[in-house]
Amino acid sequence: MAIRPEDILHVKTPSMNRLEAAYLPEVIKGFGTTMRHFFTSFGGMGNSRTMSYPEERRENMKVEDGGMELKNFRGFHRLNRDEKGRVKCVACMMCPTICPAKCIHIIAGESPWDDREKYPVKFEIDELRCIYCGMCEEACPVDAIELTPEYDIVGLTRQEMIFDKEKLLHVYDVTISKKPM
Amino acid sequence: MPKITLNGRELEFKPGQVIIQVANQAAPVIEIPQYCYHDGLSIVASCRICLAEIWMPDKATGKLMPYMGGKLMPTCQTTCIDGMVVYTDSPKAVANQKAVMEYLLINHPLDCPVCDQAGECLLQDFSYEYGRGESRFEEAKVKNPKKDLGPNIYLYSDRCIMCTRCVRFTREVTGTGELLVSGRGNREEIDVFPGKPIDNELSGNVVDLCPVGALLDKDFLFAQRVWFLKSTPSIDGITASGDNILVEHNDGKVYRIKPRTNMSVNKWWITDEVRHGWKFVQREDRLCEPKHKQFGVQLKTDWERAIADCVEGLKAVATRGKHIAFLASPMLSCEDTFSIARATTAIDPRAFLAVGPVPVHGQDKTFPPNSADGFKLYAEKCPNSRGVRRTLEALSKQGKHNGYVANFEQFINQVRSGEIGGVIVTGNFPSDWVTPALMDALKNAFVVVIDTLPSELAARADVLLPGATWVEKTGCFENARAMIQAFERAIPVLDGARPEAQIGADLFAQIKSGKPDLAPAYNAAAIRTEMSRVPGLEAFATSVSLPTVTVEQQPAMAMVEL
Repeated sequence: MAIRPEDILHVKTPSMNRLEAAYLPEVIKGFGTTMRHFFTSFGGMGNSRTMSYPEERRENMKVEDGGMELKNFRGFHRLNRDEKGRVKCVACMMCPTICPAKCIHIIAGESPWDDREKYPVKFEIDELRCIYCGMCEEACPVDAIELTPEYDIVGLTRQEMIFDKEKLLHVYDVTISKKPM
Repeated sequence: MPKITLNGRELEFKPGQVIIQVANQAAPVIEIPQYCYHDGLSIVASCRICLAEIWMPDKATGKLMPYMGGKLMPTCQTTCIDGMVVYTDSPKAVANQKAVMEYLLINHPLDCPVCDQAGECLLQDFSYEYGRGESRFEEAKVKNPKKDLGPNIYLYSDRCIMCTRCVRFTREVTGTGELLVSGRGNREEIDVFPGKPIDNELSGNVVDLCPVGALLDKDFLFAQRVWFLKSTPSIDGITASGDNILVEHNDGKVYRIKPRTNMSVNKWWITDEVRHGWKFVQREDRLCEPKHKQFGVQLKTDWERAIADCVEGLKAVATRGKHIAFLASPMLSCEDTFSIARATTAIDPRAFLAVGPVPVHGQDKTFPPNSADGFKLYAEKCPNSRGVRRTLEALSKQGKHNGYVANFEQFINQVRSGEIGGVIVTGNFPSDWVTPALMDALKNAFVVVIDTLPSELAARADVLLPGATWVEKTGCFENARAMIQAFERAIPVLDGARPEAQIGADLFAQIKSGKPDLAPAYNAAAIRTEMSRVPGLEAFATSVSLPTVTVEQQPAMAMVEL
């Protein structure tokens, strides 16, 4: 599901005062910040953002401390199932049309079910080519394609990183508890 | 010339024209929404979305008065009168457009994501431009399962808006009348008579005519979304009619063929064999590598070697005192024929030129039957037998044979008689064409085969050169009406194959300089200029009709603030 309007936090940038508009004092202040971070970043001191991944993970931290917002995080894809457990996608080709990385490849066909017209015979996403912009879930008219909060995917070959329909449906089964539809 | 004023613009008209014709032909076009109107069909004024407010100057005073008591009039049925003032953008006309759009969408399902018409759908376009954003209809929509109307067509009845273009087409253009309107009101639907599917030679055109996604082509169903397709203007490369077509392709693959309007050839229509006959272009077993015979076995080779072998073999035949011959397939373009024939006569000035087999299936047919100016379907199933003959005859006149060009039977007899020792045979037919008589006649000859599909002859060839189908090259065909029409390349040539004209140029360069890579890259216009210098072929400079693309008027959509 795309980001809902009620989830968006609008931040207003404060206007500059005279001193800030004069530029140079702010530059010097900025250097000060850099140096403070430089000297305080040793040995896990206050300003260090380094963490011991994978023992520490961002999904276990608060958003204010640099943790991630599970609802909106754009990890790799999943294909949702409908209430009968079939693939929800209707192969309308909106996602390959909008995809700026051209990483989605669908072959459509006549569906084997009476209540559905068209379904994807083949559905492949090249996760290496994907730029995780989330336009596909934005474009999807049936909420079939979604980005999950999962980000740690590994593969030994490029071919492994091209997710087919079965794999994308499996991702749904695995992540549905973590991120409900 | 008499004039009308349409939405503030003065337009001239020919007496007898209706308002919508004047608007459609104006430059730039004044868009009037229209579903049921089509230039090629009778006028029924049933969709009611083109209604306009019309004013006429009073005969006595010259003051503008509402025409026909101020009723909205269908612009597709109202004949223009000098001085008429027409508004399709007045509040009254716009209110009607909105009402009609809402009415049409009452039962129209919201299945654009799975509908093949989406992207080229008039209902989508006009709904966006003239409709309203939401529906006030709260009841359940009528739902109908899809119906099989015939071998090529599906009917999605719930998407239909009852413009009856398809029904009028089968009654007026094909004269077969398979389709009918059954039922009334919200039960009204297009149907066929029981046990009588729509199965005429022009049936595919009802899919093009359908302004919505109600009638769909089974062959193209779900194959590709239309916005991915690119169209290239081309000419029918399967029959002798020379129908003007658009080859629609994406990523080097052809997906469908659509008609291109040409009033002097095919009007708005094409036959189903042209529409669906391109499949051989993408056959898996297309020839894609040159081969030559070594010690009696056919082996793969590269182009340079194959061209050299070809010239060497044919020259050896000529030095033995026998002649060589070129059998030009009527599937070749004029440029291909000229290019290879020139190379042949460069090896042997007394080379024989012959036209390959001209397939004829059945008889010429006119739609509707026995009409004088109807749509004509030709029995001859090759695009260019006239152009090939014309080209060869001119070249033969220049050479030693005084304009003699053999036909297929004469060619076989000539080879049998033993005066021909080497041949260049071209095929390019959509199906297997090699006859046992040809195989038998060529048994002792040195045979160069330029073809696209595997055959008995290709398997036996001394040199085999893979050629290109017509969608993969440029060129021109002369159709049965003796019109020379040029076509453009739609998709790249299959990897490993070459257009025949390029092969001819390579052979010529090999003969002249021994270096086939010195041949100029194939350029159809340059070859046509060269051809026109040959006496008898001047027509290739003057009367080749180049493809003119009339891009269908896209509605000028204004950006809308969301």
